[in-house]
Amino acid sequence: MQDEERLVRRAQQEPEAFAQIYEEYFDKIYRYIVIRIGSEAEAEDLTQQVFLNALKSISSFKWRGVPFSAWLYRIAHNQVVDYLRKKAKHATESLNGMAKAVVSDDNPQMEFERKVDIEQVLLATKRLTEAQREVISLRFASELSVAEVAKAMGKSEGAIKALQHSAIVALRKALLISESENG
Amino acid sequence: MVNEFDEILNECLERLLVKGETIDQCLQRYPEQANELRPLLKTALAVKKTSAVQPRAEFKARARHQFRSALQEAASRKSRPIFGWFPRWATVVAVVIGILLLGSGMVAAASYSMPDSPLYSLKIATENVQLALTPSDLDKAELDAKFADRRVTEIVYLANEGYDGRIDVIAQRLDEGLTMLASLASGEEAAEAPKAVMAPAPTMAPTPAPPLTPTQTPSPEQDSVLGMDSGARSELSKEGRLKITVEQNATDNLAALQAALEDAPESAKPALQRAIAIAEERYQRAIEALE
Repeated sequence: MQDEERLVRRAQQEPEAFAQIYEEYFDKIYRYIVIRIGSEAEAEDLTQQVFLNALKSISSFKWRGVPFSAWLYRIAHNQVVDYLRKKAKHATESLNGMAKAVVSDDNPQMEFERKVDIEQVLLATKRLTEAQREVISLRFASELSVAEVAKAMGKSEGAIKALQHSAIVALRKALLISESENG
Repeated sequence: MVNEFDEILNECLERLLVKGETIDQCLQRYPEQANELRPLLKTALAVKKTSAVQPRAEFKARARHQFRSALQEAASRKSRPIFGWFPRWATVVAVVIGILLLGSGMVAAASYSMPDSPLYSLKIATENVQLALTPSDLDKAELDAKFADRRVTEIVYLANEGYDGRIDVIAQRLDEGLTMLASLASGEEAAEAPKAVMAPAPTMAPTPAPPLTPTQTPSPEQDSVLGMDSGARSELSKEGRLKITVEQNATDNLAALQAALEDAPESAKPALQRAIAIAEERYQRAIEALE
């Protein structure tokens, strides 16, 4: 944490130091956005915009008990919310169009977790609530701890554990539905 | 209150995903919950595959190049003289008056003072001077956002120090500031002009300049994402920056208030909860006004 604080303080003084933050978080933020919006292609521009916005605003970041990563994920969250709001205005999206389910018919005995691939998971996350999807994005795609997710979402750790539970139950159901729909 | 099963599930997830245990090893620890846990842990393993998602190398290289350009531009702007950024006559005049009347040390000290400090009234007065001498509504709104940030810091300080009786007073100021911000941002006629100058003591610290402009101006491709045409870009960019700032301040400040609430003594919690309610509602309105 102290290293991160030192790095962020330096980046507030010298923009070039922000490059290290960029390298450290780029893939994680990208994965977070992919899960939130269900599309790898559209996540690309949004990810870049998150870092440009962060660079613009880093001088306003203050250390007040909220880790830098939480601040960065809030920028990503806001970016996703803006994107979804604009997208909702233009078209009603088709759940089935978001991701192509790929199911192997060759081996029906294959274990459940081996049959579902990333596309299926992305499709299944469309059936979650926004909060559940955010927890799954942060916990599994970005690999944050419960404490870090709590800070990023501005909720208690208990609330995050409850959301995590309900999200996995909902995903389980969604994946089973996906399995049955695809034969 | 954390549900016991939520705790157990989280413990198993940590063991499975972080420590590399197998599902059976996890279930041996919780035989009574094994039937309920097994399908959830299998689902978790499937979802864990998303951590293998990687951006395309081509995109990553292009994005890195674009970001490096933005960093260089930011660095070059930061090295320019401060009054090259802010040629506002009002700020300059206010700074000179402040130096003459009070000296820079006192004004600077006041800007960091808390409500229990004798310098606090000077701090509020300097804020009013800045608002009164700032001609544009958008610049005023920026100041309101900045001052709202200060109010939250003060509320957190008061809660930590146990001065719960004063939290409502500062929360009221926060309410007024964010209401004014929403009015200015929406272009409405402000219900009330910024308060009269109480003392001619402007702060020594000018509002920080936006660190980036040219290369961070969105590209045509980004414009289409942002829904802007190039002609409107330069006019919208300042509002856009303000919106981003207010959104992030809202997030940071609400998180800071929530964190303060968890640690605050019982006596301070009702006032803190009222302050949180004010902040949530007013920030939301301000953000909507900036849409």
